[in-house]
Amino acid sequence: MGRSYQRMPGATALLAAAGLAAGILLGIYCPVYISTQWTVYVAVGLLAALDSAVGGGRAALAGHFSASVFLSGFFLNTTLSMLLTWFGSLLRIDLYLAAVVVFGGRIFQNFAEIRRYVLNNPGKNSKIAV
Amino acid sequence: MQLKKEEREASPALWARVMIPAVCLILGFGITLQIRSVRHAQSASSGADLTRAEELQKQLSAQKSRNDELANEISGLQKKLAGSSAAGAQLTQAEMMAGLVDVRGPGLTVTMRDSTAPPQPGQSASAFVIHDSDILNVLNELRDAGAEALSINDERILATSEVRCAGNTLSTNNNRYSAPFVIRAVGDKDKLRAALLMKGGVADVLSQWGIVVDAVPGDNILVKAYAGIPDYKYAKAAEGGS
Repeated sequence: MGRSYQRMPGATALLAAAGLAAGILLGIYCPVYISTQWTVYVAVGLLAALDSAVGGGRAALAGHFSASVFLSGFFLNTTLSMLLTWFGSLLRIDLYLAAVVVFGGRIFQNFAEIRRYVLNNPGKNSKIAV
Repeated sequence: MQLKKEEREASPALWARVMIPAVCLILGFGITLQIRSVRHAQSASSGADLTRAEELQKQLSAQKSRNDELANEISGLQKKLAGSSAAGAQLTQAEMMAGLVDVRGPGLTVTMRDSTAPPQPGQSASAFVIHDSDILNVLNELRDAGAEALSINDERILATSEVRCAGNTLSTNNNRYSAPFVIRAVGDKDKLRAALLMKGGVADVLSQWGIVVDAVPGDNILVKAYAGIPDYKYAKAAEGGS
């Protein structure tokens, strides 16, 4: 079962890097700015999205990537963290810190798992990946 | 069954190839846009502050030079007016009362200094510094003793002058001064001094807190004129009154 997904990591990583580069280029040349009052929401949303992306990458490496989990996590986590920030601003509590702590921690955890996976399967990756 | 299984296996891989780059695209876009927005907001706000400060500075200096011009004009006109004798004498007296001319005479130089004594535990540090009320007490005592002209740090005390704490400075005629305060009074120097330094008087009470009130009599005390321009916006001379 695991074998058929061994092909994945290299190509997906390449595609992911290409997507990231395209996104950065789009962001650089996008003529609009985010209004100052919204930047905290966007920042928290981005953190949630980053968590989803890293989590998706890890799942793909481990071979149990699920599109529905990935998509729902991406959109719902982003929305939820933004809502949390908004709710926190209503209550005058920095509630977005909860999102920062949770997603920040998970990014590290997922990254650690990716690192371990890559380190443990160096030969297979370099041979098969195209 | 075999095919279905393969399909099930293949579809997540395919999905991952599409979804993860797509999400990375959104992510890259969002992060870049966010960084640019934050930078833009920072540069915009600091830039706006700077230009605003410059603009205000310009306005202030323009107003100041205009004030100087007008003050010159006033003194020129006053000299002309002083030429006619009866009106001139009346004017001089009115100006002395209004604090628009320097006056000189016997009187008292009072220096008030904040306490240098360290506050003991349980005592408020606030009691050891000079407050507006302390200065008002001194001024009132001097007036009671017949002071004819008063100034604080060479700021003439007018009928409209305020004496008020402004942070840890003192605001008089809307100018800020900090301790030590030098109060000059023209009047009967012995009477002024006695009024200030009497037992249980203002200076005596303040000395309990270590606040120094120095009263030095002199025969040639200069009380400077009000440096600004008196401006009555609301009060008009009532007609027919005297």
